[in-house]
Amino acid sequence: MNKKYLYAGIGIAVVLLLVFMLPKYFNGNVTASESKISGEIEKIEVYHFHATRQCYTCKTVGAFSEETVNTYFADELKSGKIVFAHVNIDLPENKALVNKYEAKGSSLLIGVYGKDGSFSKQEDTNVWYKIDNETDFMNYLKGVIEQKFSGI
Amino acid sequence: MDLMSFMQSMGTNSFPLIAAFFIGLMTALSPCPLATNITAIAYISKKIDNGKHTLITGFVYTLGRMFTYVLLASLIVYVGVNVQAISLFLQTYGERILGPLLIFMGLIMLNLIKLPSLKSGNMINRIKEKLSEKGYWGSFLLGVIFALAFCPFSAVLFFGMLIPLALKYSDAFLIPSVFSFATGLPVIIFAFILTFSVSKLSKVMNKAQIFEKYMRYAIAITFLIVGVYYTWRVWI
Repeated sequence: MNKKYLYAGIGIAVVLLLVFMLPKYFNGNVTASESKISGEIEKIEVYHFHATRQCYTCKTVGAFSEETVNTYFADELKSGKIVFAHVNIDLPENKALVNKYEAKGSSLLIGVYGKDGSFSKQEDTNVWYKIDNETDFMNYLKGVIEQKFSGI
Repeated sequence: MDLMSFMQSMGTNSFPLIAAFFIGLMTALSPCPLATNITAIAYISKKIDNGKHTLITGFVYTLGRMFTYVLLASLIVYVGVNVQAISLFLQTYGERILGPLLIFMGLIMLNLIKLPSLKSGNMINRIKEKLSEKGYWGSFLLGVIFALAFCPFSAVLFFGMLIPLALKYSDAFLIPSVFSFATGLPVIIFAFILTFSVSKLSKVMNKAQIFEKYMRYAIAITFLIVGVYYTWRVWI
């Protein structure tokens, strides 16, 4: 008997929660996404953050990202318009960078500096879905970086 | 469409509960949660004479995971605890404690470590009983602890994908709950299979007791293996 009340209670709670939450889910974009840089781009930084001990997937994301930058943005890399680095979050000398980018562990973060001195950063989590296809990964990341350069 | 593209389109679905579910599935199949889930499966398999019990234990384990994930999400979404701080902390310490803890639990189950019976001996014995015999608290606690063990990739999925979703909809309850359910799904599915197959088998064989004795050793050894695996990964 008691159990019945318990199940009924849980059922009602779940239904109420759904009724309360569902409208929110359909009206997405509650909060604005990352601020974008308007105007000319000064520099783009692509950082692969990782811990000392790396997982297989984490290493792959780092390696593919580096290859993308080296392959498609060689000129920008030379001129310093794009920067790529693997950043170990466990090392004290990287602390400032880790905090600036708010890296939460293994991650690929792209920072954009505007000529007006503005800065915006964005974590890309889509890359994690593309590690089993290097061509896909590189094309995707190339597109993302090009988009950042064009200031979209 | 290959599997990863499918997972991506589902994991970034515009309906957040679907996205949360698929991010959870990805988590369930990533190395660390897979190892903890295998341990959990071993744990819930020990009382196979009573099928219903196995099934409930599987669900209770998932509830334990849910508790941790909802708590973490609530701390971030409602209390405003820094995501970076909590993520780096758990990745540093959660995994380090897990290995030795599993080895310790395995040794207790094998009776190789006898917990000292001090004045509070009864209480310790009762805890031991609850952990190694039946008792849903054991599997609940197992879920709570296992969910705290973040490895690099499971941290990406939770802190990099699920938490932004929870923040976007300021929902630290339903979204993490659906996610948790998916991370515990392999255990629940296994419990179902066990309930409807092995329980019948052991009854037919009428050797449930002997079977259970061997199961207990098998479970303890699973704990030891997974414990050594974690300790080796993190400490060596």
